[in-house]
Amino acid sequence: MKQSLLGICLLFTCLLTAQSEFTIRGKVKDANNGETLMGATVFLKGTTNGAITNNYGFYSLTADQGSYTLVVSYMGYQEVTKDINLTENLELNFELQELSEALDEVVITADEPERISIKKPQMGVAKLKSATIKQMPAVLGEVDVIKSIQMLPGVTNNGEGSPGFNVRGGAVDQNLVLLDEAIIYNTSHFFGFFSVFNNDAIKDVKLYKGDIPANFGGRISSVLDIHQKDGNSKNFELNGGIGLISSRLTAEAPLFKDKGSFLIAGRSSYAHLFMKASEDLKNDKISFYDLNLKTNYSINKNNRIYLSGYFGRDVFDINNFIQNNYGNASANLRWNHIFNDKLFSNLSLIYSKYDYQIVLDFVELDWIADIVNYNLKYDFKYYLNNNLKLDFGLSSIYYNLNPGEVKPTSPTSPINYLKLDEKRALESGAYISAEHKISDKLTAQYGLRLSRFSRLGGQAMTNYLNGAPVVYNNAVGIYEEGEAIGETDFKKSESIKTFNNLEPRFGLSYQLNSESSIKASYTRSAQYLHLLSNTTSVTPVDVWTPSGKFIKPQLSNQYAVGYYKNFKDKKYSLELEAYYKNIDNRIDYIDGSNLIGNNNIETEILNGEARAYGLEFLLRKNTGKLTGWLAYTLSKSEQRTLGGNAGGPGINEGNWYNTPYDRTHDISITGVYKLNDRWSFSANAVFQTGRPVTYPNAQYQYEGLSIASFGDRNESRLPAYHRLDLSATYKPKKNLNRKLQGEWVFGIYNAYNRRNAASISFLQNQDTGVNEATRLSIFGMIPSITYNFKF
Amino acid sequence: MKTYIKSIVLLLFIVVTACEDVIDVKVPTSTPRLVVEASLDWQKGTTGNEQTISLTTSTPYFDNDGNSAVTNATVTVTNVDSGETYNFVNQNNGNYTINDFEPVINDTYNLEIVYNNETYIATEKLVPVSPIKRVEESLEGGFEDDVLDVSIFWDDPADEENFYLLKFYEQGDIVASFETSPDEFVNGNELDEFFEKEKDDSDEFHEFNPGDVVELTLYGISKEYDHYMNILIEQYDAAGDPFSTIPGRLKGNCVNETNPGNFAFGYFRLSEFDTVTYTFQ
Repeated sequence: MKQSLLGICLLFTCLLTAQSEFTIRGKVKDANNGETLMGATVFLKGTTNGAITNNYGFYSLTADQGSYTLVVSYMGYQEVTKDINLTENLELNFELQELSEALDEVVITADEPERISIKKPQMGVAKLKSATIKQMPAVLGEVDVIKSIQMLPGVTNNGEGSPGFNVRGGAVDQNLVLLDEAIIYNTSHFFGFFSVFNNDAIKDVKLYKGDIPANFGGRISSVLDIHQKDGNSKNFELNGGIGLISSRLTAEAPLFKDKGSFLIAGRSSYAHLFMKASEDLKNDKISFYDLNLKTNYSINKNNRIYLSGYFGRDVFDINNFIQNNYGNASANLRWNHIFNDKLFSNLSLIYSKYDYQIVLDFVELDWIADIVNYNLKYDFKYYLNNNLKLDFGLSSIYYNLNPGEVKPTSPTSPINYLKLDEKRALESGAYISAEHKISDKLTAQYGLRLSRFSRLGGQAMTNYLNGAPVVYNNAVGIYEEGEAIGETDFKKSESIKTFNNLEPRFGLSYQLNSESSIKASYTRSAQYLHLLSNTTSVTPVDVWTPSGKFIKPQLSNQYAVGYYKNFKDKKYSLELEAYYKNIDNRIDYIDGSNLIGNNNIETEILNGEARAYGLEFLLRKNTGKLTGWLAYTLSKSEQRTLGGNAGGPGINEGNWYNTPYDRTHDISITGVYKLNDRWSFSANAVFQTGRPVTYPNAQYQYEGLSIASFGDRNESRLPAYHRLDLSATYKPKKNLNRKLQGEWVFGIYNAYNRRNAASISFLQNQDTGVNEATRLSIFGMIPSITYNFKF
Repeated sequence: MKTYIKSIVLLLFIVVTACEDVIDVKVPTSTPRLVVEASLDWQKGTTGNEQTISLTTSTPYFDNDGNSAVTNATVTVTNVDSGETYNFVNQNNGNYTINDFEPVINDTYNLEIVYNNETYIATEKLVPVSPIKRVEESLEGGFEDDVLDVSIFWDDPADEENFYLLKFYEQGDIVASFETSPDEFVNGNELDEFFEKEKDDSDEFHEFNPGDVVELTLYGISKEYDHYMNILIEQYDAAGDPFSTIPGRLKGNCVNETNPGNFAFGYFRLSEFDTVTYTFQ
């Protein structure tokens, strides 16, 4: 496959390189810190010929022999122009100067990539720069990538203190979260209060909500692609911050005479230090920390290597009684190689791991579980000519999942040693995708991804009577475990089950005029790894499970159309998108399913389907003293699970019902107002329809208890969710003799103290015996103060 | 397992800023169903001749009236192995009683209820239980040190799957506390469970003090009933909190033969049990 793809491309090179055309290539960087700029525009003035820098700041542009003025621009930076005489292939590197804040007239501009691209067929994508994320008010002053993207249309979350995010009515596990290409399995600290991404180490984040490019695979809802900074390659720089929850310190510096640079960033909470001082809490410990590392080295002008790493952990210790710790670790070694003026490549070797441990002192039990993957990836970008750019590559991921190992912690423990079956799998993909300018107005993007997933042997699989791990008990009307009728042993060299899928991706953009366009796209994608969770919120101990003999891959088709417009000299932009998607093989859980410590998880689940559709509206103000956006989403997300092979009517009598991620209305407003050099103010406002939940529809007495009887799944809703956050940033006047630049951030989260229900529990009051509805609300009004510094 | 993880999370919520309050919520209302509380429990060392089955109907969730006794049903239990039939006597208050029931370990029994011209049936085995070996009071056990707790100990038979229901009740309380305990991870070992109460501002639960009297009961139960009680207890303790399982409709083993859609709530269980009453020192 790989050889033939390469072969075709090389053939193209030979055939299509005409003698009178020459290529300009190079990199675009920030003049201050040497960070590569992704998404900068390089174009020949007076033509429609231009290129945009890739994730590594690289561009390549081909034109006929002649004289041109080359313009390099990136919003927020000073434009650079250069007259060139194109008589041979050129390598031109540019360094752009950030628009100085010292200028008398302060103009705040949204960065180019955050604005919509009228021409590109790519839809449903949002990019946020680290600086934008930093400006938004945050809970307890903890700047949070995951919470920031929830301000975008089509992105929600299950409420405060619930980890992850939901895109267009999809589940948390349907998001591919990548930190420098490494898969991050759990995006939260403190069970969902804060994100694991330290904003100081991040350059930018890109969220693909639909129309996922063919180079990504393995998840069906979205891709959150987070890039860490490369590190300042000009000067030594120290950044830090002291907040209520955590403190941060980041160091960046050039290495090897500007041939390389590094960044190292650390963040740690310190609540446990205060807890030690408290009489009640002195034996408890709640803390998290993380460490980000990135370094790069330029071997020569065509070769550069990058090494990035992340390590984060949460630690809980409640009186030595319950101890729990969990976290992600990842590492990525990359080799950027420029074959020639038109062919750019990147080879990555990536490792990531998520694991957790629970120690229960009182039953003398030690429980560990983990998921590890190794990923080898080779991606190419081929700038064939002005009208056609190709992306192609290969990827292979090996997974090893250890769903649980239980050990007694002492000889007197009543616990017997138990290890659930380890699971192994191999996921491979090959893709090719073209961006094709058909005419000045019409651009198409078409791609194909071929994915293959093998669940590998090395374990025994239970066989069930009639092949049904779950059966419907007709007499009692409930789903139960199927009858096990022995096991089949699979050798390590065997594969238990293999799936192949063709995933076409297609997009089209038609420019109506210079300031507006319409776009359409179709995406098919497959997901082979599933996070099993039958609780309302995802928890750190939920189990990742590969597709295999009993669990089929989730398959999604998504269709979208959109209208895009810039107006008032690009001061404002408008995006309007409508989508419809359907998903096959969405896992659903039988009533009373038990997933923890279960070696035969197939006995607790049924295969269902899901569908979601919606309309997203985003109005941005890109320039001026006030910048920000208004997002509105009208949507529906439903699922249905029929009995199928298990028999019976299915979940909820086989009717369609709301997924927990269904939000009819979702409005987010975010804005930053820069008053002067010293002060800027920002605000977030959110309104969302309440989350679908299951309420009781009757009660009865049993064993002296008042038992709630619950109705159909998700037929009720929590009250609507809304809140307002405010923050103000004060920069003291910089002393020109000193390098230190400080900044104070004052914030109020949930300014009018709305008690949003994270959940409503139906409980019998233990003193009066009366039934009550108890609301749990997590964050009331929370003021915060943070000091940031740069040295 | 999950309970423990949940307690970590809930504790965390409390440490952060979470707050709980009681609010008014409008909930849906379904048509009433028959509720069967047919627990034929046989205490070790007794004859087990006297048994009661109570029948009620379900009521709207926030209805505190409480009187929903079913007084116009007929209740019969049959020992399938011996063919013996027991007709329970209607006491006209929702209770149906008998005083010559003969419990036989591992025998299978049928329950038949005729109510509103519909026939409900259920089948279950009488499950034995190991005796409680000893009771221990301590400060160190349980969730918190320096708080009194009490544990019971028993031996789990090896070479078989066993399921236990524990009922802990402090005299004077409105409700008892229940727990299921399968031998899944602990087969063949000496098992124990503790009972402890914590200080909690919201519902005046108080810690144990010397002189407090508790009744600790251990039942042998079937795998199916363990599954049923697991869900019942989880939904009773935490229905709706963010880390609880999405609550579902809880179906017991009482099937409506006449009109299957109109199934009954509750369960027909037969358990041997051992109980101790303990006074804190």
